[in-house]
Amino acid sequence: MPTAYPLPKNLSPATVANTASLIRIVALALISGAAIASRLFAVINFESIIHEFDPWFNYRATRVLAAKGFYEFWNWFDPTAWYPLGRVVGGTVYPGLMATSGVIYNLLHAINLPVDIRNICVLLAPGFSALTAWATYMFTKEMKDASAGLLAAAFIGIVPGYISRSVAGSYDNEAIAIFLLMFTFYTWIKALKQGSALFGTIAAVTYFYMVAAWGGYAFITNMIPLHALVLILMGRFSSRLYVAYSSWYAIGTLASMQVPFVGFQPVKTSEHMAALGVFGLLQIVAFAQLVRSHISSQQFQRLLVAGVVSIGVLGALAFVLLTYKGWIAPWTGRFYSLWDTGYAKKYIPIIASVSEHQPTAWPSFFMDLQFLIFLFPAGVILCFRELRDEHLFVIIYAAVASYFAGVMVRLMLTLTPVVCVTSAVALSTLLDTFIDPIEPEITDDAQSESGASTTSSVPGTNGAASTAPTATSAAASKKAKKAAPAASSEPGLKLSDVFASSTVKTSRPRGIYGLDTRVMIVFNTTLVLAFFVSHCTWVTSSAYSSPSVVLASTNPDGSQHIIDDFREAYYWLRQNTPEDAVVMSWWDYGYQIAGMADRPTLVDNNTWNNTHIATVGKAMSSSEEVAYPILRKHDVSYILVIFGGLIGYSGDDINKFLWMVRIAQGVWPDEIQEPNYFTPQGEYKVDDSASPAMKNSLMYKMSYYRFAELFGGNPGQDRVRQQQVPKVGPTLDYLDEAFTSENWIVRIYEVKKEDPLGRDLKSANAFAHGKKRKRSKPAPRRRAIV
Amino acid sequence: MKFFSKPLFALLSLTFCLAAAQDPRQQLVDLAKAGNGVIKLDSKTFEILTSPKRTWEFEPSWNAVGGAWATVSKEHRDNHFFATLDFDDGQIVFQKLGLQSAPVVYVYPAAQGPRAPASGKTSPLKYDFSHGFDAAPLAESLSKHTPIPIPYRDPIDWAKYISIATGVLGLLVTLRFISPIIQSRWTWALGTVAISLVMTSGYMFTRIRNSPFTGGNGNWVAAGFQNQFGQEVSVVAGIYGLLAMSFLMLVMVVPHQTSPARQRAQIYLWSGVFVIVYSALVSLFRVKNRGYPFKLFL
Amino acid sequence: MVYLRSLVFLIAGLATTLHAKSSTGDSVLVVVEPNQQDNYSLFFNGLKEQGYDLTFRAPKAETPVVIEYDVANFAHVILLAPETKVFAKDITPQSLVDLLGKKTNLIVALSPKQTPLSSLAAEFSLTLPPPGTPLLSYFPEREEPASVIPVPVPASHSILSSNLPPVWFSGAPHSLGNNPLIVPILRAPAASFASETDGGSPDALVDAAERGGEGLWAGSQLGLVTGFQTLDGSRITWLGGAAILSDEFATKEVSKGVPSGNLQFARDVAKWTFQEAHVLRIDRTTHHLVNTTEPLELYTTNDQIVYTAYISKYDSVSSSWVPYSGIKDLQLEFTMLDPHIRTALLPVSNEPGKYLVTFRAPDRHGVFKFLINYKRKGLSFLESSTTVAVVPPRHDGYPRFLSAAWPYYTGAISTSVAFFLFSALWLAGDSREKRAKGHKAE
Repeated sequence: MPTAYPLPKNLSPATVANTASLIRIVALALISGAAIASRLFAVINFESIIHEFDPWFNYRATRVLAAKGFYEFWNWFDPTAWYPLGRVVGGTVYPGLMATSGVIYNLLHAINLPVDIRNICVLLAPGFSALTAWATYMFTKEMKDASAGLLAAAFIGIVPGYISRSVAGSYDNEAIAIFLLMFTFYTWIKALKQGSALFGTIAAVTYFYMVAAWGGYAFITNMIPLHALVLILMGRFSSRLYVAYSSWYAIGTLASMQVPFVGFQPVKTSEHMAALGVFGLLQIVAFAQLVRSHISSQQFQRLLVAGVVSIGVLGALAFVLLTYKGWIAPWTGRFYSLWDTGYAKKYIPIIASVSEHQPTAWPSFFMDLQFLIFLFPAGVILCFRELRDEHLFVIIYAAVASYFAGVMVRLMLTLTPVVCVTSAVALSTLLDTFIDPIEPEITDDAQSESGASTTSSVPGTNGAASTAPTATSAAASKKAKKAAPAASSEPGLKLSDVFASSTVKTSRPRGIYGLDTRVMIVFNTTLVLAFFVSHCTWVTSSAYSSPSVVLASTNPDGSQHIIDDFREAYYWLRQNTPEDAVVMSWWDYGYQIAGMADRPTLVDNNTWNNTHIATVGKAMSSSEEVAYPILRKHDVSYILVIFGGLIGYSGDDINKFLWMVRIAQGVWPDEIQEPNYFTPQGEYKVDDSASPAMKNSLMYKMSYYRFAELFGGNPGQDRVRQQQVPKVGPTLDYLDEAFTSENWIVRIYEVKKEDPLGRDLKSANAFAHGKKRKRSKPAPRRRAIV
Repeated sequence: MKFFSKPLFALLSLTFCLAAAQDPRQQLVDLAKAGNGVIKLDSKTFEILTSPKRTWEFEPSWNAVGGAWATVSKEHRDNHFFATLDFDDGQIVFQKLGLQSAPVVYVYPAAQGPRAPASGKTSPLKYDFSHGFDAAPLAESLSKHTPIPIPYRDPIDWAKYISIATGVLGLLVTLRFISPIIQSRWTWALGTVAISLVMTSGYMFTRIRNSPFTGGNGNWVAAGFQNQFGQEVSVVAGIYGLLAMSFLMLVMVVPHQTSPARQRAQIYLWSGVFVIVYSALVSLFRVKNRGYPFKLFL
Repeated sequence: MVYLRSLVFLIAGLATTLHAKSSTGDSVLVVVEPNQQDNYSLFFNGLKEQGYDLTFRAPKAETPVVIEYDVANFAHVILLAPETKVFAKDITPQSLVDLLGKKTNLIVALSPKQTPLSSLAAEFSLTLPPPGTPLLSYFPEREEPASVIPVPVPASHSILSSNLPPVWFSGAPHSLGNNPLIVPILRAPAASFASETDGGSPDALVDAAERGGEGLWAGSQLGLVTGFQTLDGSRITWLGGAAILSDEFATKEVSKGVPSGNLQFARDVAKWTFQEAHVLRIDRTTHHLVNTTEPLELYTTNDQIVYTAYISKYDSVSSSWVPYSGIKDLQLEFTMLDPHIRTALLPVSNEPGKYLVTFRAPDRHGVFKFLINYKRKGLSFLESSTTVAVVPPRHDGYPRFLSAAWPYYTGAISTSVAFFLFSALWLAGDSREKRAKGHKAE
């Protein structure tokens, strides 16, 4: 057979196989290293610090867990959150993340490595990203082969779509959840391929871990049943599917109910009903298969089909009825808003107000996935070419995840793995095709070969998969598994298989002629990959490595200037206020205040109580007189607002203000109305033409209090809104300015006590400033009769 | 301004307690009965009815809600009234309320008596049309002001159900004939790929945010990283599709080419397409993200 | 001169044995014109006998200052300069309010003249009539001018001694606002009214009222001496006229052989104002579970909680706090936003000063406060707030066996039994099948 380039002939097959596996191991190790290293920008540029908002809660909870043990954590009631309602943390949290850190912490301390819990939390996400790369490798290996797996691992290791949620310090549930997602999928595919109850159980266990770690587990809960359902509909029902699904569902559901936060949801809510329904369907289909194999009467089989269909219909009806009766909870708002995209904005403004729940514009996709985004469709097509059971899984996953990622920025995270997998399949197919040294013989035979591709597959794994179901005992399947790697290396006697460890080409007489095209394609691919690496590095370092607690700006001379207002203010609170002083702020900052300032907060990022948030929204958007009783009732001592007008920090409270108004309006439509906060022309203004409701609102007053004085007579400029603020700034009677940070980003106000003389604070304040009170006359008790 | 045939809608909430109120109330009851639950106002009756007590305002949706209210039992019904005012009939009223446009809905709560709001705010409330002009949200928000919720149900849209049923039947019939196409994996492949292409080009963004198709003046690229126009979806999806296709050509079609020369030409062609379109994509991305430091050949 | 004299008094005060009479301190600053000081000697000597250190200062004198380095120098201040228009710069309406915030008690005398103090009165919800309109009364008929009025004292009043003879009053009345912190002490006689001294004809008064729109300044709703207790607990007493404390009125007979009640009245007023009487405090509060003694920071829902408060009253005779069980209407609230429980906190019969209640915690978790908020006119306010968390039961704190869970028990047991039976049958059937196969093979 002619080859495009010379091959060494004196290598023994064992050497080739050993070298290949060594290279794989080294490559995986390097990929893990790269995955971890690229996530350390944040630590190098800033410091080892917990990022953003939610991670601060996770960190605080982890500290409790590490200090007091798991049972105390489970029973932890946090009286400082949602003051005065408190939060039953143990029952309202996904404990997987904290438990993982706690285990690592205890393990390290057991071997006398006194690592600080903070560093474990900071570095957990990078560590797990290495595991994700490995899980993706395993998963992709099931789809195609090891070389595609290595590519997929490399992609997911550095792709920004995943890094965005797993940089060092981003200590959030997603940090470990994506690993669990991929690993569960891998074990599910493995279980399905082999019909193995063992792998089904492993899938169930990792599913349980996933349930304990992230609310997004519902994605798995629906993906696997969907896959199973499609397989049944395509007539691909097999005992392998039955064994895999039943073992996964039964064990996984029972296990997931052990998580206190989940409880009975798996049997009571609509999100979980698909899994239950498919489980039931599988039993019926399996029963039908059993009966069919024993009975030959055609009529009876028809009857059976009718029976199966009617049972299915009855089951669906029962489900509808149960939902209608309220036995099964309907879709939760968060979930429902994925389908009815207008729903959240209309009914649950809190969900709509979160920036990561916004829909995704195309530049975000390109930013997060770069060239993978257009290799992704190609990879999906390649999956269709073979269309084995596991390929169906990837196809369904691709369609579903791309819809979800389009609806919510946050769900880009679930799309990223499948994009990496499919593009790795596509790219490795390209490389297989063009690196394969064998040149086809020049022939005019135009015999179609498209059919050949479907039959081709990796013989090793396929062989294992086909032998496993025939083996009745677990031991046999284990043996088959052990045999699989050996089998895969056996046909690879030819050196070509080292480069393209797939046998697709060998079964096909077609190929590429000449060396120049090969070189060009390989060169092109290298170029594209190099571009991808530099893109990822740039995006990671510039966009995704900011802790958002510490901001960085660039001085005119190019040096970095750190803006540390948040910590300055939080530490001020920590040092200067009594320990039980309640701090009110918009919910975004609740976790940070609790974590860094260690003070009770009214609302925080766990937005479970709409009314309480609306109360804060009402206080912020009402006038001082209206807000003061609310503040006193909730024992608020300090109010914290974020104001970016001085240095142009656009994520400040005035820009979030309309959401506060909307959320408050949802609960008190008579008192707060959104249109009142716009000018008559319908503009959102903070300058002289601002509406009275706007100017009197607590939020406006706290943001701009004494702001105009900074400009010493010149008109003050708000650099976020690009508007001139009124020359005479707002006055405050019920609050005292307590603290304003260096760049005015954080402003803290103290709520005054009631006047000891029983006056309203407005007149008390006027008196203290020496203003003459208008002479009042006594209330007429009697009228003079003239 | 087109005022004509744009009515002003008013809702009255009356009270039992005032003896003096009995007379106009009876009047209203009669009027409401005559108008199937909706009172026709003119400027005179509007004045009469709103000065001591209060009123509200709306057309099809309004009438539907008003009609639903008419089915309520008498004791509740006669505490609350629906009324409309055409601009033709009551220009003075429009002037008095300072209305520039119609329709407008006002709720006039009872100013006195047991049904007066506890907050003591008797000024008319304006209905917020942010949920659209449909009857269901209107009835829902009005129910806050009525003694009992308005028993409004959306009318059954028979036309919709019939068209859906015919559609399903038609689909089933067609399915019989095109089942080979449906069963072909490539149909499904195209469908799946089309979905992912459209979704990853930001289609859902334009739908949820109601982005315009273009920005006008031939400007079809929206400024800003987190923003896009409708046309960008098709352009970007096209680019992605072209890139994926050229890639697939290299992988799936080219190896089957049996003539080395033609194969070589194809490989160079598709590689060229790939590189050029990719460069175009990167330069388009640079338009959206000004700070992006990389570029390819374009 | 004034300074010297005050120094002498100070030294004299230090030399004699002190009887600490007030619960908040003995130092008293008297701001009075030096030439009028002797007019009030009976009142001042009475205070000195009680053990107070009196320091005198002229209204315009710079020293001794009332507030130094943000600390009040005196425990009590008496302002007997009702006609002074200009005070030294440390005595302003604002600084007086400051003083109250620093736990200083005040006695302030007003007069029909417009002074800085009369504008201060408005901050206490007292409204003064227009300047130059003293209280007049032509009843009862008497020799004295219409502006010197014998005012009958209510027979029983929580602050005043019972059955006081009428007191002489001369000065301006004030009307009382609806501020709940006001403690009316002495009201004007029903037949009295405020008007210019000379133009005191009733018609002129009504005319003036109509023109000026000031309302009618007459009748028993007007206050003459009015106390005020701030939310911080400090007390201030407003005197419509300084003369009520004077020696002249103290010795003047109201009727033949009946001495006026002025001296005793002044003593009672000073006693209340200087926190000698009607002073209560909460010594401490504790809470614990029934049958235990240690207070907890976390209670579980539906726990039986015991709450105890110890209350003392100040006894000016022994200058000490003695346990006090006299409050019958004390209430305890268990509050989270709103009171979830409001219950009577009753004295324990044989333990003086101890108030105790046992109640069940609500079936609601959250951060609760034990609140005592006892505010009665004339008495010091009793306020106490203790924060505790009420938490749901621990994971092992629920009952182990639930009758409602029978479906699950049944399911688990039946599945186990079925599995066992199935395994047994399967194992038994397996060998037979093999045997059958073996037969076939044969």
